Amino acid sequence: MALLEVEDLRVAFGGSTAVDGVDFQVDEGQVVGLVGESGCGKSVTSLAIMGLLPRQSKVTARKRHRGGVTVSGRARFEGKDLLTLPRNEMRKRRGQELAMVFQDPLSSLNPVVRIGVQITEVLERHRGLRGEAARKEAAHLLDRVGIPDPTRRLTEYPHQLSGGMRQRVLIAIAVACAPRLLIADEPTTALDVTIQAQILELLKDLVDSEGTALLMITHDLGVVAGLCDEVNVLYSGRVVESAPARDLFARPTHPYTVGLLKSIPRLDLPIHEPLHPIRGSIVDVIRWKDGCAFAPRCDSVTEKCVEGEPALVGTEHAHRCVMAEEIA
Amino acid sequence: MSAETSTPTSTALLEVEDLEVHFPIRSGVIFERTIGAVRAVDGVSLSIGAGQTYGLVGESGCGKTTLGRAVLRLEEPTGGSVHLGDTDVTALRSENLRRFRSRMQMVFQDPLGSLNPRHNVEMLLAEPLRVHRINDRAEQRRLAEETLDAVGLPTSVLERYPHEFSGGQRQRLGIARALMLRPDLIVCDEPVSALDVSIQAQVMNLLDELQGEFGLTYMVIAHDLAVVRHLSDRVGVMYLGKIVEEADSEEIYENPRHPYTKALLSAVPQPDPEVEASRERIILKGDLPSPANPPSGCRFRTRCPWAQDICAEETPVWREVAEGHKVACHFDRFD
Ligand SMILES: Nc1ncnc2c1ncn2[C@@H]1O[C@H](COP(=O)(O)OP(=O)(O)OP(=O)(O)O)[C@@H](O)[C@H]1O
Ligand SMILES: Nc1ncnc2c1ncn2[C@@H]1O[C@H](COP(=O)(O)OP(=O)(O)OP(=O)(O)O)[C@@H](O)[C@H]1O
Ligand code: SF4
Ligand SMILES: [Mg+2]
Ligand SMILES: [Mg+2]
Repeated sequence: MALLEVEDLRVAFGGSTAVDGVDFQVDEGQVVGLVGESGCGKSVTSLAIMGLLPRQSKVTARKRHRGGVTVSGRARFEGKDLLTLPRNEMRKRRGQELAMVFQDPLSSLNPVVRIGVQITEVLERHRGLRGEAARKEAAHLLDRVGIPDPTRRLTEYPHQLSGGMRQRVLIAIAVACAPRLLIADEPTTALDVTIQAQILELLKDLVDSEGTALLMITHDLGVVAGLCDEVNVLYSGRVVESAPARDLFARPTHPYTVGLLKSIPRLDLPIHEPLHPIRGSIVDVIRWKDGCAFAPRCDSVTEKCVEGEPALVGTEHAHRCVMAEEIA
Repeated sequence: MSAETSTPTSTALLEVEDLEVHFPIRSGVIFERTIGAVRAVDGVSLSIGAGQTYGLVGESGCGKTTLGRAVLRLEEPTGGSVHLGDTDVTALRSENLRRFRSRMQMVFQDPLGSLNPRHNVEMLLAEPLRVHRINDRAEQRRLAEETLDAVGLPTSVLERYPHEFSGGQRQRLGIARALMLRPDLIVCDEPVSALDVSIQAQVMNLLDELQGEFGLTYMVIAHDLAVVRHLSDRVGVMYLGKIVEEADSEEIYENPRHPYTKALLSAVPQPDPEVEASRERIILKGDLPSPANPPSGCRFRTRCPWAQDICAEETPVWREVAEGHKVACHFDRFD
C-alpha cells in the first residue's frame, strides 16, 4: 500500500480552479517529485494535503464551501483520508508523521523567538521532551543538519542566521519527530547554487538514513533528476506525465515535458546547442473541460486534442495526451 | 578637466580597469562617522569586444549588480575607470554624461518593477527618447513600432499597460525600452531569472537575435551558469567583489581552474538522472563571508577545500594559465 495516495484532488478559490484533479502517490521511503511552472498548482496541492489551506475548516469528500476554498478528492495517508480528518487529529499528525519545509525560511520562522525555543516547542509538543533534555536534543538536531556550534546558535534569532542556515533550522524542526513523510516546497529556490547543493545533500542523507519519504516540489528539472525516484509533471492544475525519473528523462512523452526539456540550457550539452522555447505563455485560467489545456502552446496539436478531456493513460509511465502514441 | 579623454590602444568597446565601488558603513546618531566599507566591487578589470557578450556569474551579494551599475555610472565608482570606445565614462560630468547615457542601457531582472505602471507602452517607449530630446511624435512612434517589431510584440500593444502583459512579454518590453536609443552596450541584469522555464528560452533567443540585428554588445549578469554559458562569448566568475577566473565561455566550462569555479559548476544539477548519478560534487562548507570584512589573502580560502597556509598570507596574483584564460589562485593542481 502506498504511504500517500492522492486521488482526483481539486481545489478552487471562490470560482477559480487552482488544482483540477491531481493524482499521484508516494511509497514508503520514496522520493517523489512534483514539478511544474509557476501557478500550476504545486503549492496548493501540498497545502491541501497538509490541511493548511486558509480557513479550510470542514472539508469533506462531498465538497463543501468554507471561506471561499473548496477542496475535494482524497489524500489517503496510510489509508486514512487526510481531507476528512478532524482538525485536532490533523494537527497531531502534522509535525509528527507529516512535516513540511517551505521556500522562504525567514517567513516560516518566528522572527522574535530564539531558534532554540522554536525547536524545543516542537519537541515538547510532539515528543514530550522538556528542559535540559529538550535543549540537548535541539542541539543534536542542529548538529545533525550541519550547523556548526549548535549550542550558541540555539540562543540566536532567525535574522542572525544566513538563508542556508535558516533552511537547515526548518529542516531540523521538520525532522525532529522522525516523520514518515516530508513535503518540501521549493526548499532551495531562494538559495545560491552552492548552498542549494548543501541542502539537497542533507535531504538526500536524511531520506537515506531515516527512511523518510519525501515529496519534493520544484520547478527545476535538474533538482528532480538528482533527487527523485518518481516524477509527476504538472501543467495547469493537473498531472500531465508521471513516470520513474530515469524513464521520464530518457523517454519524455507529453509534449509539455518534451518542450520543457528542450527549452533549458544545459551544461552537459555542446555549447551552442540552440534552445527551442515553448511558444506562447502560461495562461491563468485553468481549462481542461474543452480539451487539452496545453493545446494553445503545443506543436503537435490536432483536432483530436480539443474534442474532450484527455485522460491520464498508462500505469508505470502515464501521460495525458491523446497524440502521444502518434508522436512517438 | 576635459570630459572626454581617449584611451591608448584598444579594440575593445568596453574597458573596465581596477574598478572599485565601496559603500561606506556609517554609525552614530548625531555625529555620523564612517566606520568601514562594504567592498561590493573591489578592483575589477575586464574588457568586452564590440558585438561580444561578456557573462558575469557569481553568488548573491558578490557584487554583480553593483559592477553593472557602476559601468553605466548609475552607481558612482570609488576608484578605477570605465572606457566605452574612446570615452572615459568615469570622467564624464553632468550634461556630457546625460548625453552619453544613450549609448549604454540596462535591462533589469524584474520587468514589472522597472516599468511605470501608470504609463502605457507608447509612453514607456517614448520616455527615453524625450530624455534625449527626440521630441517629434511621428519619429517617436516610428521608432517604437520598429522596436516592438524587433522584440516580437505587435504594434497593437502600444495602448496597453504593463500589468496587462505576461512576465515574458514584460521582459520583451523592458528590452524594447533599452533598445529605443539604439545603444552600443546593454547591461542585462538577470534578464531571465524571474521568468518561467518555458519562457526563459524565448527571451534568450531574442537577446541573441537582437545582438545580430543591432550590433549590440552585452554584459549579461546572472547567477544561473547554464544561462550565462549559453549567452556569452567570454565569462568572468566573481567572488566577494573580485573576478577570480575569466576565460572564453567554452574554455571555462570545459576546463575550470579556480576551485570556486569548479565548485559552482559541480553544484548545478543537470536534468538527466544518468548524469546526476555519476556527477562529482564539490560541496562547499559554510556561507559567503561579509564583503565589509573579506578574508585575508585569497578571499575564497574560508570555503576552499584546497586552502593551504599561503592562501591566508598572500593574495594570489591574477595570472594567465592558458591563452586568454586568467585565474587568481596560488595553485595549478588539486588532487
Ligand atoms: N490563497 C489563494 N487564493 C486565491 N488563489 C490562489 C491562492 N493560492 C494560490 N492561488 C492560485 O492557485 C493557482 C496555483 O497556485 P500555486 O501556489 O499552487 O502555484 P505553484 O505551482 O506553487 O506556483 P509557484 O511555482 O509560483 O510557487 C495559481 O493560479 C494561484 O494564483
Ligand atoms: N547602496 C548600497 N549600500 C550599501 N551596500 C550595498 C549597496 N548596494 C549593494 N550593497 C552591498 O554590496 C554587495 C554587493 O551587492 P550586489 O547587489 O552588487 O550583489 P549581486 O551580486 O548583484 O547579488 P544578487 O545576485 O543577490 O543580485 C552586497 O553585500 C550588498 O549588500
Ligand atoms: S588560492 Fe588557495 S584558497 Fe584560494 S582558491 Fe586557490 S587554493 Fe583555494
Ligand atoms: Mg509554489
Ligand atoms: Mg544583483
